[in-house]
Parts: sequence; C-alpha cells; structure tokens
Amino acid sequence: MHKITVLFVLAHILIISGYSQGKYILSGLVVDENNQALPGASVQLSSGKGTVTNSEGKYVINDLDNGIYEIKVSYIGYKTHLDTIVIDGNKAYRIKMLYSPLDLQEVVVTDNYVETRKKEESLNIEIANKRYLQQNLGGSLMKTIERLPGVSTIDIGSGQSKPVIRGLGFNRIVVVENGIKHEGQQWGADHGLEIDQFAIDKLEVIKGPSSLIHGSDALGGVINVKQNSVPINNSVGGTIDLIGKTNNNLIGTSFSVYGRKNWLFADLRVTMLDYGDYKVPTDSIDIYSYKAAIHNNQLRNTAGEEKNLHFTIGIIQDDFQSKFFISNVYSKNGFFANAHGLEPRNVDTDVHDKSNRDILFPYHEVNHFKVINQSLWEMGKFRFKSDLGFQRNFRQEWSEYVSHGYMPPVFPDNLKFNADIERQFDKHIYNGNLLIRYTHNEKTAFTFGLNGSYQDNDINGRGFIIPAFEQLNMGVFLLAKYEINPINVLQLGIRYDHGKIKTESYNDWFQSPVLIGSDTTLAHLQRAYGLNRNYSNISWSVGYNYNQEKLSFKTNIGRSFRIPIAKELAANGVNYHNFSYEVGDPDLSPEISYQLDLGLEYHLKKFAVGATPFVNYFTNYIYLNPSSEFDRLYGNGNQVFYYTQSEVFRYGGELHAHYQLLKSIKLGVIGEYVYSEQVSGEKKGFTLPFSPPASAIFNIKYQKQHLGFLKNVYLSVDYRITASQTNIVPPEETTDGYQLINISLGGEISLKKQNLSISAQVQNLFNTKHFSHTSYYRLINVPEPGRNFVLNVSIPFSGKIN
Amino acid sequence: MSNYTKLFLLIVSFAVILSCEEDSKDDMKPAIDLSITDAFPVNCDTIYFGETFVLKVLFTDNVELGAFSFDIHHNFDHHSHSTEVTECNTDPDKEPVNPYVFIQDYDIPQGLTEYETNIEINIPSAENSNLFDEGDYHFFISLTDKQGWSTQKGLSIKMLHR
Repeated sequence: MHKITVLFVLAHILIISGYSQGKYILSGLVVDENNQALPGASVQLSSGKGTVTNSEGKYVINDLDNGIYEIKVSYIGYKTHLDTIVIDGNKAYRIKMLYSPLDLQEVVVTDNYVETRKKEESLNIEIANKRYLQQNLGGSLMKTIERLPGVSTIDIGSGQSKPVIRGLGFNRIVVVENGIKHEGQQWGADHGLEIDQFAIDKLEVIKGPSSLIHGSDALGGVINVKQNSVPINNSVGGTIDLIGKTNNNLIGTSFSVYGRKNWLFADLRVTMLDYGDYKVPTDSIDIYSYKAAIHNNQLRNTAGEEKNLHFTIGIIQDDFQSKFFISNVYSKNGFFANAHGLEPRNVDTDVHDKSNRDILFPYHEVNHFKVINQSLWEMGKFRFKSDLGFQRNFRQEWSEYVSHGYMPPVFPDNLKFNADIERQFDKHIYNGNLLIRYTHNEKTAFTFGLNGSYQDNDINGRGFIIPAFEQLNMGVFLLAKYEINPINVLQLGIRYDHGKIKTESYNDWFQSPVLIGSDTTLAHLQRAYGLNRNYSNISWSVGYNYNQEKLSFKTNIGRSFRIPIAKELAANGVNYHNFSYEVGDPDLSPEISYQLDLGLEYHLKKFAVGATPFVNYFTNYIYLNPSSEFDRLYGNGNQVFYYTQSEVFRYGGELHAHYQLLKSIKLGVIGEYVYSEQVSGEKKGFTLPFSPPASAIFNIKYQKQHLGFLKNVYLSVDYRITASQTNIVPPEETTDGYQLINISLGGEISLKKQNLSISAQVQNLFNTKHFSHTSYYRLINVPEPGRNFVLNVSIPFSGKIN
Repeated sequence: MSNYTKLFLLIVSFAVILSCEEDSKDDMKPAIDLSITDAFPVNCDTIYFGETFVLKVLFTDNVELGAFSFDIHHNFDHHSHSTEVTECNTDPDKEPVNPYVFIQDYDIPQGLTEYETNIEINIPSAENSNLFDEGDYHFFISLTDKQGWSTQKGLSIKMLHR
C-alpha cells in the first residue's frame, strides 16, 4: 500500500505541474443512476465548447477562461442535464443522468457510444446492440452478426455456428463473455458456440491481433459479449420475447425478469427454443455422387432444441460494484441422418421421416455451465477490476455403434461407456483476471493486467481424436495510453505469457492385428503418449488514432500468439467425420502472427465512407495437412493428415459506405475480402482451409421515427453478392458464388409507457439454392437453408418498488 | 450531391470488382475409373471366400498419383450406401457373427498420372476354422494424389461361400 501512496503523491505533483497554464480545465465523469459510467454522452458549454465522454464516461474540456457557463449534458434515453457552473480554476464536475421515463426498454446503446469506442480503439471494431441483434436475428449468435463487415461463420445446420473473423476461426479467435474467455471445444468444425444470443446486451467484434489483452488464441480478434444492463433504482420489470421461424418451424421464447432495491439487483432469464428439420431448396443431396432423396425439402434429422438459464445478482455502490453471472446453456442438435460426417449412410426413411421434430442418431448434446464474478472498485486515480470464472463444458456426440477398422462387430458389454457414445468431452475451466487502471493525468493512463487459467479435460467414448489433458496459462501485461492532444492518441503495450500443457496417453479399447517379425498378434494399440510441454511468449502492440471532425485514421501493429492445442500436439486417430487419420506433432511451436491494421473513415452529414485494410504474416500457421499416405500401422486404411506448420501471408479488408439519399432513405454498401497464401511448406501456394469468399452487401433502408401509431419504423433490403471460392486447399471443394435478397422490417407500438417491438425478416427471399463455402455440410453438398420468415415480438413490462 | 453520388457509385463498383475476383489453381482430384474393360469389382459384383480375385481399377490424376487403399466391411445393417447409381439386391438385415474384414493400402510408383491396378487378392474362407459370414459387404476404395487430394468410391458387393 505504501508504494501506491508514493505513486499517488508523485502523480499529484505531476498533475499540478501540468496544470500551470493560465487557462482552466473542466473535467469529470458522467454516470447514470447506478453510478455506471456513460460513455458517449455529449457535454456542451454555452461558450460553444464541447466534447463526448470516453469509454469510461470521462470528459475533459481544455482552455476555459474565467466565467459563468451553462452546461448541457445529453444522452439518448436520459433526461438532458442542465446546470450553471462557475469556472475560476480547474474544476471537476460529476454529472448523474436520470433515466428518461419515456424509454423503459432495458438497454439503450446510442450511436455516440459506438463512435467513441471506435475513436479510442486502435484496432478496427464493430459493435452490435440489442436492437441490432433483434433486427438481424439468425439461428445462432454468429449467424445474427454475420452481416457485420469482416465477420463470417461456419454453420452446423440451422441452430449452431462458429465464429470467423477475417478468415480466422477455431482457436484463432477468442470469445469473451462478461470478462471471461469462453472455453468450449472450439477446435471442432461441428462444434457450435455455446452462447445464448437473447441474453446479450452488447457485443463487440475486435478485428485484429488482441493477444496483448486476451493472451493466447486472440490472433484473429475477439468477440466480446456483455450482459451489462443494470435496472434503474427501485424498479421491477422484464421482457417477454416470442420468436417464430418458418424454415425450421422454430418456436421459442426468452423471458426475463429483473428487479432492483437500492444497491441490490437481480436479473433472471430463461430461453427455450425448439425447432424442426430445416428446409433446403432441393429434393436430393449429392453425397459423394450418391443421391440421397430427401422428404419435403427437409434435411432429415437436423431438428434441435436449446434451453438456457441465466441468473445475475449484483450490488452497486458509488465506487464499488460486484456482479455474479450464473448461466447454463444446453443444446441438443441432430446431424443430417444420411451422412455422419462425410460417410453416406442408409436411413430407414419410415422412421426418420415420421416426424420432422424428433432428434434421432446421430446427434450431439452440449451443456455449458458458467459462474462469473465481476467486481469493480474505484479509488481515486485507480480502478481495480477483477473477473473470476468457473466453466464446465460437457459435450457428447451420439451415433449408432458401427464397427470401423478392427472394432469388434458386436460391442462388448464390459466397457465403461455406452456403445452409442462416439465421443465425449468433459472440460473444467478456472479463470481469473485482475486489471488495475491508473489514470496518471488527463493525457496518460496505464493499465496493468494479470490473467491466469487452468483447465482439465477428460475424454470418453468409442472414438479417439484428442487425448485427455490439463493446461495452465499465466499472463501479465502493461498497456499505456498517451493522448498527445485530443486529436492524436498513442497506445502501446507489452505482455508476457507462460503456458504449460500436459496430455495423457491413450490405448484403444479394442485390439488390432500387429505384425511383429512374421507373426501377427492382437494388441490394444497406443494412440497417444503422455506429453509435457511448456511455452512462453512475448506479445506487443502499438496503436495510433487520429480523430478529426470529418476524418479519422487509425493504425495498429501487433504480435499475437497461440499455444498449440492438445489435438495439434497429440492427435493420433481416425476422424470418421472426414475419412481422415489425424496425426499430431508434439514439437509444434506456438503460432506467431504479426499484423498491421489500418482504418480510415471520412464522414460528412449525408455521406460516409470507410476502409479497414490489413496485412498479416504468420511465421508458423498450424494446419492439418493431407498427405498422399494411408495409415498402415493402425490398419484402418484412411488418408493420413499431419499437423504441420508453414509461413502464411494474408491480406484483405472491409469497405463500407453509406449515403443519405432522402431524409428517411439511406443507401449503403459493405464489402469484405480476404486473401491467404501459404508461402512455405508442403502446401506452398495454397490457401488456408475455410477461407471465406469475397462478398458485398448492398442495402437500402427506410427509417421513420413516427408513422401513424408506430414508432421507429424501418424497412431494410439487403442484396448480398458472394463470390465463388476457387482458391481452395485439399480436401475442400470449390464453391460457386450466389446472390441473395434478405428483407427486414419492424417497428414499435406504444402501450402506455412501454414500447412493444416487432422485428420481422424474410431471409433468402427467392428461395435460392446456394452453398456456403465455410459450412460444415459443404463437403457433402448440402445447400444452405431456403426461404425463411422470422418474427420476433418483444414485450417489455415494468413497475416500481416502494 | 452529384459528386457524392459519383464517389458512392465508384465505391459500389469497387466492391463489385472485389467480389468477382477469381483465381486459378490446380484443384484436380485424382479419379477412380471403373469403366475400363475387366474392371473388378464393380457395384453388385460377388467375391467368393476361399478364392483369389484380381483388383482391376484405373487411377488417373492431372499431376501425380499418390497411394490407394481399399477395405472390405460387412454391411449387414446396410449402414453404408454405395456411391454408385445402381442399387443392388440386398439381403435382409442381420447380426454379424464372424464378419470378414480386409484393410490394405498400396503405394503407386512415383511420377505416374495413370495407373491400372493388377493385384491378386486371396480371400480366406475361415478364421480359426470359423467360416466367415456371407452376405452384403461394402468395398471401399480410396485414392490420393501427391498433393493430398483424395477421392473415395464405395461399392456394394456380395461375399459368398462357393
């Protein structure tokens, strides 16, 4: 504590010396009723000077003369704050904004926030709020935000998807929920992201190297999901969301109730979704030249369900707040019955086509449990933030027992697992983060961070793909931000990480013939050997922001890394999803990536244009390289895929522009493109697996604040053009381009003090048959879903506690 | 306004050009050709236990062939379809007792773009004097080229004792 006091004194001396200028400074904090900072609030003085609060709700106005000023602070969803202040020296002025009773919807995120956040972050960033998520509601979270520039998805049927940022996915991007890194089985192409999209208040996509803050894996970027709404004081309320979709006959609801009495608040949410097989605009699927007929355009056995529960309880005080987030996300999804992985399978159509809502073999079931505590404590110039998390991800993949290779034709009854469990993964994760922010003066701030995580993974089932393993990661970083002046901001940071991974050995549960000399004996083959590896890495990042009224520019260069995962180090088995025999390499180094990002934005009143290009170089990108060999030792005759590393060069970017044609009509365009090439190794000249093709969206949007009894009415038409993907790597197939029309429309109806909101969509208006290059089902030629009508009605309710 | 409209259109056309960019690359998979004369086995063929058959298939590739493997598995529950268009007459589903399994892989001599197999394979009729199960089997051929592209072909066959 002594050192902190010394720092304090030093800091004050520095601040005082910095202030001796003659003119005065007005600075302070804008908060809401909960003492939560309000970023993006507008602060205006009668002299004409003004500013917008930063991401911590702070503002600074320089060069003020002696005098009396009127101050006006405004923020959408809050009553405008008016006051008179006397400036006769440097002044600190804290503003508490009162909630506007006109808008009792839970969350209000304004465009101001987005702008401020974009100005402060030296990496390119996309932000979606609750309204955006509602208007673009897709089958899963990633599908909902796929429209954002630079974001694409790997879809597994109609209810599951994996995030991809600028062509990087799997373990190369990080998903953070309420401050804690989400850990599932992100390495699997058929493993979706276990996050309830209805429970999200705000989402940020950070495009670019983010290891500095998030450590290993954040090479491609971060998807940061927040549930940060706090109810207003002495209130109770909630929302009922009703959801319906025609393509997979989804019915669902998400119901939330909240309440707050003084400093204590709680929030409960239940989400239940149930859907049937999804429809594709075709009557047969061509699986390896076998034509599987499908019934009523329904992709047999792709029905699913989701049951999610969230409970938040927290305390809020002037300079301290602490929240517990407890959640359980459960989903069960069928896989297309005519193909398990890539293998064409015969199905009993009488059984399978009896109902389009039942889930038969093969299917997967995932339960993700999470407890997170997030605490924030402000003490003068210091701000302490801690995140503690426990997660358990339990995943089972069920399919009918079929003897592959030398598995016995009849499953023995003396084994510890069910014959029909193909794979089971049981992961326990403990995370802890500590962030200390020290604001030295209005120009300089430092953030010190400490992250630690431990995970323990068990496996079970008849198929072996990755061994059981334990992993420990520790990281420490320092980030400095220096505001040269309000126009030029510089940020730099450095981080050190140490990671430890220990994998267990594994022997087959069945015997295979082994040739020793000239004798053939039967043995339980050893697939994996125990491994113990340590890794360390230094990451860094330097960023610069230039923000003028009409023009803004940002650039960032950074080094990020990723510790090899257990599968890459120790895989040694048949992946029946791919007809492949996958072999890990225990000597792989951590993946290192260097990336340069630029962001350029020019905006006028009616017109705006922006470009966000990047260049990226991997010294060693780890990928699964198909060889010409077949596995001989283990006797299954499958093609061998080796984990290999090669240098990779990538570039690309996003482009967006919009033009306000008329007061209520806006035209827009968004384009994205990524090029990747392996510049060394066995696949030199080839691209990377799962490379999204170039695409563009042309949009016309009609918006009106009042239209008859409706409020905030919108009608938006997207014309999406996706190029063909001919730049592929074995074992991929080229994919043709396509064009789609998507429509979304909606508005709000005032009911007493509440606004009932309706959002509707027509996805794939012309029921166009098309293929997504990055879909899990692409290799077996399953087209993307056909026409889909989506309706989401959101009914809020609220009351007062006395 | 006209200037902005022009600029906007310019950006739109740029986006269109971007989304139309194409690239040419060697993305040819090797091919398994069962249309040659004497090709064996083809879909619905019968292989007899205790006898020898000659595997006759033509493999082709645009650059260089790699290796191939084939395996024979019982298909008593008809879990796997053939990749051929013709359907064979199948026996009723049954429980396997002592099904026959064959898995083997072979190298293709280096530098070839065309290779016709001519391999004699002897199928035993019993294991430890237990006769193998007769019935529907699945004959699966897998071929790679040097680059790692692969092609599979699944055939429905019958295996019988003569």
